[in-house]
Amino acid sequence: MSDIRLEGVTRRYGTVAAADNVDLAVAQGEFVTILGPSGSGKTTLLSLIAGLNRPTAGRIFIGGRDVTEATAQERNIGLVFQSYALFPHMTVLENVLFPLGVRKITGAPARARALEALKLVRLEGLQDRRPSQLSGGQQQRVALARAIVFKPDILLLDEPLGALDRKLREDLQVELKQLQRTLGVTTLLVTHDQEEALSLSDRIMVLNHGKTQQVAAPTEAYLRPANRFVAEFLGIANFVGLDGGRTGVVRPERVRLGPVGVDGGRSARVVEAVYLGQMVRYHLALEGGEGAPIVAAAPFVGKAWQAGEPVAVSWDAADIWPVA
Amino acid sequence: MTSSPWTRRLLAVIGIFGLVFLTVPILIVIPMSFSSAKALTFPPPGFSLRWYEAFFGDPRWMEAMATSAGVAVVSSLLALVLGGLAAYGLRRGSFAGRDWAEGNFMAPLIVPTIIVAIALYLGLAKIGLLGSLLGLVVAHTILNVPLVMMVMGVAIREFDPRIEQVAWSLGASWRTTVWKVMLPNLAPSVFAAWIFAFIGSFDEVIVTSFIAGKYETVPKKMFNELVLEVNPIITAVATLLIGLTVLALAAITIVLARAGKLKQTLA
Ligand SMILES: Nc1ncnc2c1ncn2[C@@H]1O[C@H](COP(=O)(O)OP(=O)(O)O)[C@@H](O)[C@H]1O
Ligand SMILES: [Mg+2]
Repeated sequence: MSDIRLEGVTRRYGTVAAADNVDLAVAQGEFVTILGPSGSGKTTLLSLIAGLNRPTAGRIFIGGRDVTEATAQERNIGLVFQSYALFPHMTVLENVLFPLGVRKITGAPARARALEALKLVRLEGLQDRRPSQLSGGQQQRVALARAIVFKPDILLLDEPLGALDRKLREDLQVELKQLQRTLGVTTLLVTHDQEEALSLSDRIMVLNHGKTQQVAAPTEAYLRPANRFVAEFLGIANFVGLDGGRTGVVRPERVRLGPVGVDGGRSARVVEAVYLGQMVRYHLALEGGEGAPIVAAAPFVGKAWQAGEPVAVSWDAADIWPVA
Repeated sequence: MTSSPWTRRLLAVIGIFGLVFLTVPILIVIPMSFSSAKALTFPPPGFSLRWYEAFFGDPRWMEAMATSAGVAVVSSLLALVLGGLAAYGLRRGSFAGRDWAEGNFMAPLIVPTIIVAIALYLGLAKIGLLGSLLGLVVAHTILNVPLVMMVMGVAIREFDPRIEQVAWSLGASWRTTVWKVMLPNLAPSVFAAWIFAFIGSFDEVIVTSFIAGKYETVPKKMFNELVLEVNPIITAVATLLIGLTVLALAAITIVLARAGKLKQTLA
């Protein structure tokens, strides 16, 4: 187990910088998520850390050791891809034994360790199956077992749950988080799913066009986004004008709705009310029509505002966070 | 592609005509090889194995057979290794001049064979390998590398590069990854590529005629005999070659079909 440190890491393809002067420090045992839209450089950054790709500039440290020039084989990293990348001709057990065999661990001790890893990912009894005989979720568990069985210094996961359907993805998120806590392994996960990032990680690194936008705890990044991009990428953002031509962001659940003319607020009309189970999301048009529509979210407690109804909209000044 | 029914019908007629034109001579050769007549006549007056006996009893034919088989085994294995590595480098690498390098490897398949033959004649003469067995092996290897590259190139492109990357990250060297991870999965294509290269060498006549010197291979000897006189032994040899080719293609089809790779490789 080790910490990770990136110093000015840059990777250029022609004139495009897929990773642009990225600094990051991940503490030992920490779970950090790299979040960004497709093409923002997440995979590039992960492959640079894994040693599958070489930076154009900058240095990479794992456990204090400068690994910038080290090969992938020398880095002792557990790697999991969205496509599982299991060895198709090997059984589940053989897949998990592979990294042990490479390290000259064989026989009964290797077998015991492999079965232990399979137990950790809840795949007991499936060790003799082939990958093609498993569901997507099971295949990804095998990939996870194979990535942790040799006690890697760090764990790198590139959209590991991206190919799974929603329910399974949520279950596996919980398991992944528990597994990471049990093992205490430093983990870097890549995703474009903001909910996944918010729910899994100790800290989030938001990436756009290869550049770091913000590195912060989930609540911090959500409530105090460093800029407009982060505000919009992490959930729904209402932008409101501030004094001096500046812009602030208010999150939907901080927007209060009330009957018109009771305790002030700006009058608005409900354009749409979207029922989401625990919550109702309102799209509101402010009277006078100026500015973007406001989105509010309120817990559903039996009664909801209907489309077309007039409402009074308000928020506390303390709930506004300036972004530009 | 969209085309009128008439165009398609015309194409079908041309296709069938072409197929008949190509296969009828082959199908005539087979019964003639079992003929009891002294000269080539069709239809054969009676059945006998005399031309096969003549073939297997002739030490010069047997020598040509041994040369052909030896050259085919060695050159196909060399082409397999070199073509496989070239296909791997070209499919997985990204370096300046990649397209140029690929074109260079594929050239023997595209350039008219007679030009390749002249080039090899001059090249082998320069390094003193003209008319030697080694020269013949080198020439056949060069000719068969593109075949191997085509078959292996498709197989490697279809193989998820992330599987290799994971193997490296798990600590496996490049060599271990090729042996333990890639080759077991690519085995059907490796077999197909090897058979193609073997047949490619065994059937080769143009380049061989130019550079083999005193060495006779089966096709070269067939060609030379035909120039002198029409000897019915040729029909027996031809039938054996047809049998070998059909068997080889059947083996490739079975192996690739069982691996579910037939469509990709032939596409
Ligand atoms: N091998 C490559 N050659 C050229 N451009 C690349 C290469 N790999 C990635 N890129 C470019 O770098 C950018 C980031 O890609 P990537 O890291 O895959 O993004 P993400 O994983 O966030 O979707 C993209 O614009 C992509 O086109
Ligand atoms: Mg990616």
